[in-house]
Amino acid sequence: MLGSTIINHRQHVGLQKLAALAGITHSSLGPNKKYKFIQDEASGESALVCSCFRIFENLELSCAVGQLVHETIQAHQKVYHTGSGCLLFLAGAWSRAALECLQRGIPVPHIISALSEGMDICVDVCRKSSVSTEGLDVEPSESFNAKSHALGFLLSKKPNVEASQASHNLQETSTVGLKTLNGSRQRQIKLSRHFYEARSENVSTVTQPDHPKLPDIAHIAKGLSHGCVDAMNLVVEASRVQSKNHPGNISCSTFDVTKVMTCVLPGLPEEHACVLPGCVVLVSDEQASVAHHLKEQSLRVALINGDLSDTYRHLGFKKLTGVQCVSDQSEFTSSSKDKEWMEKIVALLLNLGVNLILVSGLVREEVIQRCCRHHILAVEKVKASVLRAFAKATGAVPVTYATQLSRHCVGVGVKAEIWRDLSSYDGKPLITVNISTVENSELVTVILSSCVHGKLQAMEDRFWACAYRLHHMLEDKVLLPGAGVTEMLCVHHLQREAEKHVKHHRERNRDSAANPYRGEVLNLIADGLLDYISTVMVNTGRFSKVKAMTAARQQLQNNNESLDAKFSQLSLEGEEEDSGVSLLIQSSKAPAVQIYDNLSVKQEAWRKALDLVVLVLQTDAEVITGIDQTSDDTQEKLMLL
Amino acid sequence: MSRLSKKSPSLCTDLPLDNADICKKLDLLRQLLRSCFGPTGRLKQVHNNIGGHVVTTSTSSVLLPAISSSQPFINLIKTSILNHVSRFSDCGLFAAILCLSLIEQAKQSGLRGNVAIRVNKHLLGLCTSYLQGEDCGCKVKLDFCSSQSLITLARSVISSKPTCVLTEPETLHISRLAVQAFLLTVPCSSPGIVSLGKIVTVSVEGHGVLNSTVFPGVLLDMPDVFTIDKVENLPSDALRMVLFSASLAGDLSELGDGIIEVHPGVDTDSQILDQLLELGKQVVKDEVKLFVCQKVIHPVLQQYLRGHGIIVIERLGITLMEPLTQLTGAQPVATLHTTIPAKAYGRVRDLRIRTFGSKTMLHLHPPGECAICTMILCHRNETMLSELKVVCQKTEHVLRLTLREPSALLGGGCTETHLAAYIRHKSMNEIPETVSALGCSQTECLLGVEGFCRSLEAVAAALEHDGGSSLMDLTHAHHWSHPADVLTEHMGDSLGSCGCGLVESSPNQKWTYLNSKYPQFSPAPLSEDASVQPRVLDSFTAKLNALQVAVETANLALDVRYLIQDVN
Repeated sequence: MLGSTIINHRQHVGLQKLAALAGITHSSLGPNKKYKFIQDEASGESALVCSCFRIFENLELSCAVGQLVHETIQAHQKVYHTGSGCLLFLAGAWSRAALECLQRGIPVPHIISALSEGMDICVDVCRKSSVSTEGLDVEPSESFNAKSHALGFLLSKKPNVEASQASHNLQETSTVGLKTLNGSRQRQIKLSRHFYEARSENVSTVTQPDHPKLPDIAHIAKGLSHGCVDAMNLVVEASRVQSKNHPGNISCSTFDVTKVMTCVLPGLPEEHACVLPGCVVLVSDEQASVAHHLKEQSLRVALINGDLSDTYRHLGFKKLTGVQCVSDQSEFTSSSKDKEWMEKIVALLLNLGVNLILVSGLVREEVIQRCCRHHILAVEKVKASVLRAFAKATGAVPVTYATQLSRHCVGVGVKAEIWRDLSSYDGKPLITVNISTVENSELVTVILSSCVHGKLQAMEDRFWACAYRLHHMLEDKVLLPGAGVTEMLCVHHLQREAEKHVKHHRERNRDSAANPYRGEVLNLIADGLLDYISTVMVNTGRFSKVKAMTAARQQLQNNNESLDAKFSQLSLEGEEEDSGVSLLIQSSKAPAVQIYDNLSVKQEAWRKALDLVVLVLQTDAEVITGIDQTSDDTQEKLMLL
Repeated sequence: MSRLSKKSPSLCTDLPLDNADICKKLDLLRQLLRSCFGPTGRLKQVHNNIGGHVVTTSTSSVLLPAISSSQPFINLIKTSILNHVSRFSDCGLFAAILCLSLIEQAKQSGLRGNVAIRVNKHLLGLCTSYLQGEDCGCKVKLDFCSSQSLITLARSVISSKPTCVLTEPETLHISRLAVQAFLLTVPCSSPGIVSLGKIVTVSVEGHGVLNSTVFPGVLLDMPDVFTIDKVENLPSDALRMVLFSASLAGDLSELGDGIIEVHPGVDTDSQILDQLLELGKQVVKDEVKLFVCQKVIHPVLQQYLRGHGIIVIERLGITLMEPLTQLTGAQPVATLHTTIPAKAYGRVRDLRIRTFGSKTMLHLHPPGECAICTMILCHRNETMLSELKVVCQKTEHVLRLTLREPSALLGGGCTETHLAAYIRHKSMNEIPETVSALGCSQTECLLGVEGFCRSLEAVAAALEHDGGSSLMDLTHAHHWSHPADVLTEHMGDSLGSCGCGLVESSPNQKWTYLNSKYPQFSPAPLSEDASVQPRVLDSFTAKLNALQVAVETANLALDVRYLIQDVN
């Protein structure tokens, strides 16, 4: 059966749902996140969640909009690991904007074209206000004096000096017509005593563009921590360990997020969090004793991509169901077959001299024990990326079946040692073994611990969010000024564009191709961003919603006034866009930490939010399949076909 | 003891179209499909009642299969529309809206069922002969010397689905790609019967639409990154390849159901594996460099083949089999129990690795000329991407249809209004002949004509979704839309140009609202001005067939006297 609901036009139910769903996650926005309990009334189970992504993972939403939101957030989280809260908040804010447009009677095609134009404006602002990471590797040498207190409180994540500096530089370079990074470097070099030397260096970098200078990770990371200072410290430490073990250049700092793994130790205080080179896993007592036996040996390693068991078959293998054994004896039972397999495998492993097997799938307890008896350490549930790292570092070839193993599949140069025996803390066996390669490995394990079990997932999520922020920074090679500065700039530009259009429109309203509602919609998009800024301020706990909103608007007003004066001088040059940054920041107190945002993450989150709104806005009906017409609880409002 | 339950008698509905419940359902279906129509149409979210995956669409080929009803009328209409769509891809919504309007108009007119049917049939004949005639005023010849009209045709199809959320430059980019891909599938120099090639579509989520592109040849997914290092230094001259359609997973899944009796000592798995390795040995001996399987390949065989420097690709999927056989000339091997005949091997050249987002792909070129190409479609999210994929496949089909009949109809509702005006005029002039031929009174005939023309106009009016009004000019009978929010004294000021873009508004032009009375007139042909090109074009073949399907389905529905339902 099929039902269909017609969504009322002026009160678009889909947009209302989207706005309501976004409301759930307001408190998990910004650096001061609040935990939420999600309780299942039926089973009495509950989950402690902190991020927008986890909230939706734990909610079972059956409505179409809920599903769409969930799918969008999952897709975003899978790639970026951060920014889902921003995505959902703006989806909510902009769906309210779209609702407002509908209430004002603006036709849908006009709303959509103006929304997409607004996004183009924002993306353009992001592009222009982005700061190259290369200019950020030195501590700021200038500091701005507090000219006004207006933005001193703008956010707890304070606006940064350096972004302004860099954007000054960008501004300068862009007027000269040099958009390269050398410009910004030069500017800093000018302040240096080694002016001439530096310059000659600068020339050499121009001739050798293949070796760009890598940014100072530790310094920038502070600005990307977004309130998770501890987690970010671990990320920086991981990067430091990786750089030290980097096979090539020793001096440069790198960060390869695919070679980072986490090991969660429940029950230990949080101070035990640390970073170790190699791959740290939790093992049983027997495995630990094998590890003890193997310490200080160079091990031969085999990598299994799958389960290590007799019955395991590769993906796509269909087992025969209707097999009957015809026999007059019944000596072959499954257990004897299993034993036979085990004999074969152990003999093979011993023959190849393997001391360590890393398995991506599962290994049965008996197999582990059997291996232990022959001093072979078998470790299960190893991530595929870790297997790949071991394959690369040791020359081992991952195989699906242990029977495939041959001499050239076995890698060499691995060591395993007990890192710490933590069993004494609460009686349960809790022994960690560190498996690392002698050389060429950038594998790093981050140990996370907490006395409160419920916090562990949130801690792990935070760590990965920080790790990926650093990763995206290195990929993008640019950063955005954080702490709401970018959003403020977008608001400023959107409002200016809206105003420009109104004037423009009055002059020649006979132009039928122009969108008469552009200004209105752009203003509403700007309001959504303002709402975002003020919500982050509210989450700091120091502002009420009203106060935050007024403060943000006031700040914007100040900027506009000062900009307008400047604007008349600059408008002819056409590259006045960056001036907003400096004004916003000049009026702030000298900040302690510089805050940055990821360019790609922010842009993608904004885009996804807007796409969601555009799709829902255009939807006027839900077609629900599989409704049982005969049951009485069919909802009244559904229309059945 | 078994219990017998009494069979309930069948339910019979007399004159089902007079039944209020059935009418309500037909009306709901009409509203549902009408609101999807055109570039500003509204979208529908299709999902099941337990919170499954949500599909957002306004395409009839996606939406209609999701609709299931207990009402035979709905199913009748649905089936004939889907049948049309499966043959012609385009104009599904057009056919559905026209069909439902015709039924509604016939009921409203109060005509006897058989009179309405005869009139409709007669008018359909008029329409088709007019559309196929030389002097048809709403048809344009497609010019294959320039890609412009093809791009316009493609653009009209692509822009008619707002779920794709494309900006103007993005629409143009995709339209150009669609035409480019289509042209690549037309072989350049093959004497005799020309067989068109194929477009393989690969979708990449999370990238901007402007990153979409078209390559000649086939791109195969390479999920396993371990093998890449070796591919980089491959010779570019032709390589021998083999293609398997049989599963090489090492299982006996192809035996079918039933019980197999085996001896306990027999290890079927290892015996099949031995067989597979035999195959591997032969392939190595025959110097095959690329080994492709539609299904799964046993890891041991993979290891063996890679060990001998062969590139292995598994899980190709059924859709790529035919393009790949065309490209390489290989014959898919369907068994692993015989030696591979030499003629089964195919050839490829110029292997190359290409990466798109998270996808790593192996690009194969044909050894000679071949009309296979691959279209990489990128979009920001899954919903938009899947609709874009459907739309692009539709466009490919529409472009192909132009080879059979190199014409297109004016889009934007202009064909419908033009046709309605023509039919009104023509049937007025021929009323005595028509009346005697159809065996009905003049009043009945006029009512029937009015209903038919109103249905056509209703389709044109269905393009408007934002409260604007639909108009028709009284010279060329083209379709115009007037937005609801613009208030001007002079209507001509706010109209700009007509739906297809051929007619510009001028001060001495007159308009009438659609579905209002106007004096019948003969729509004037457009002046032959080569500088003005239509902005919107519809597929001629698809629309003509859709018109026939709509009228015939409506006639069939009007012809139903009883509805007998077995309720057991």
